[in-house]
Amino acid sequence: MLFNSLTFLVFLPVVFFLYWMSPKRRSEWQNSVLLLASYVFYGWWDWRFLLLLAGSTLLDYFAGIGLDRNTDPGKRRLWLWGTVALNLVVLGLFKYFNFFVDSATRLLESLGYHPAPWALNLILPVGISFYTFHGLSYVIDIYFGRIRPTRDPLVYGVFVAYFPLLVAGPIERATHLLPKLAKPRVFEYPMAVDGFRLMAWGFFKKLVIADTLAVEVNEIFNNFTDFRGGTLMIGVVYFAIQVYCDFSGYTDIARGVSRLLGIEVLENFRTPYLSRSIPEFWSRWHISLSSWLNDYVFTPLAIEFRDRGRHGIMAAVLITFLLSGLWHGPAWHFVIWGALHGLFYLPSIYRKKGLRSLSVRKDAPLSFQDTPAILQTFILVCLGYVFFRATSIQHALDYLAHFSSEPFSFDTFHIRSSLNMLILVSFGIDFLQRRGYFTGRYGSGFLLAEALAISFATALYGNFGSVEFIYFQF
Amino acid sequence: MDKTISDLMPIFRDVLEDDTIQLSESSTARDVPGWDSLNHIYIVVAIEKRFKVKFKSTQIQAWQCVGDILKDLNENP
Repeated sequence: MLFNSLTFLVFLPVVFFLYWMSPKRRSEWQNSVLLLASYVFYGWWDWRFLLLLAGSTLLDYFAGIGLDRNTDPGKRRLWLWGTVALNLVVLGLFKYFNFFVDSATRLLESLGYHPAPWALNLILPVGISFYTFHGLSYVIDIYFGRIRPTRDPLVYGVFVAYFPLLVAGPIERATHLLPKLAKPRVFEYPMAVDGFRLMAWGFFKKLVIADTLAVEVNEIFNNFTDFRGGTLMIGVVYFAIQVYCDFSGYTDIARGVSRLLGIEVLENFRTPYLSRSIPEFWSRWHISLSSWLNDYVFTPLAIEFRDRGRHGIMAAVLITFLLSGLWHGPAWHFVIWGALHGLFYLPSIYRKKGLRSLSVRKDAPLSFQDTPAILQTFILVCLGYVFFRATSIQHALDYLAHFSSEPFSFDTFHIRSSLNMLILVSFGIDFLQRRGYFTGRYGSGFLLAEALAISFATALYGNFGSVEFIYFQF
Repeated sequence: MDKTISDLMPIFRDVLEDDTIQLSESSTARDVPGWDSLNHIYIVVAIEKRFKVKFKSTQIQAWQCVGDILKDLNENP
């Protein structure tokens, strides 16, 4: 089920009503409603995937209990690695099997062998990367003693399948979400209104900004040889805004829906395009994935490689970014996108001094002198986006090569002032957010009026073709 | 003799380049400005070098506060 569909417009009020009618045993009731709603929400795509979701949930739930019961280090390691391997096998089978077989076949062909073509005809289950990561972090955190496992299968079932986050995150942590699900939630009008406001902004970003820009971006990327270099550069900037509004719009809706249900979930974006460096960008873009990769990939690798000094850390950074690229999609152009970000990240590690200032500066207030650094970071991010948006490495390289064809002239039909206005609006929203204009400043009445005004603008200018969110494919 | 907070403080101050840092056994990365995942590795390396110890990777990953570091440091032969 898509957030931007009529079905969801009926689904959400029904869930909201059932969830808050709460007779006695409020927590159990609320979690039962959430579990049922989440399975209906997910099964709407294809009910067969519910078996996969339920299987993954049961595996990690019992692994958590198994880890807790065993004190023998060998058996605990077996539980951990067995569960991690099973999770990755399922993810690998559905998401990466054909990619690796295809890559191996091409490699063999380049060496003169001609193996018979072989591929599995599997559909990629929506959100599998997201809920697999939920389960993995739960099991790993139990192994390292960061959390105790829950003994309530209902609570754990909701943690994995919670419908606002199920298909595109934010990727929650058990330490953050499980305690909230274990307690009864109490309806708070200001929180619900703020949730409604967040949803309104999310729909605006998706339906008005992202989906409008998508038309131009698709046209420019699909037929790039027909356009001048300047237009191609603008096409990448349009894509940067599109993907941001699409994904952060989705996150706003997810967080808004969750607030309507009285549950605060993790933040995923903090004005990423106003970052002054690539490390700062990654502390502000898709935060829940970056911090997941930081905790479960980068840190263990860097600890393992620590005797090699800075070179060990650089290797850990590069591997983490390569895996981040692969997480986004089973294709080499995503791997190159990850590799580029890894390379862009390295100079900040190689500096001998200033490590502390780097991490503290990420939170320093913006000033006018930061403009060149912000522009430089945005240009690097856009360069990466050429590989992210292209359909193959060759497509990306050809697109980049075409920049030199009349780089300072534009095809005016595709660079309309209305589109540029949308970009200004999206940066304006970000700037105001960064300055704290949306937090705790106004009463519920104002927020409700704001939400209604934004909803009205979305109804007037939105694109209502139920276009999928970009991050659903990941 | 057991190592204490005052033995760790100079290492944190040196790696994080901040002489005002104050630690307690319950201090976590959230409480200390600049103690991020990258600097964490430099802190681990500096502690191992200073006290001539070698922690297991699983030990390091289980640390949640300064007290956990001290506990492992004092249990090391």
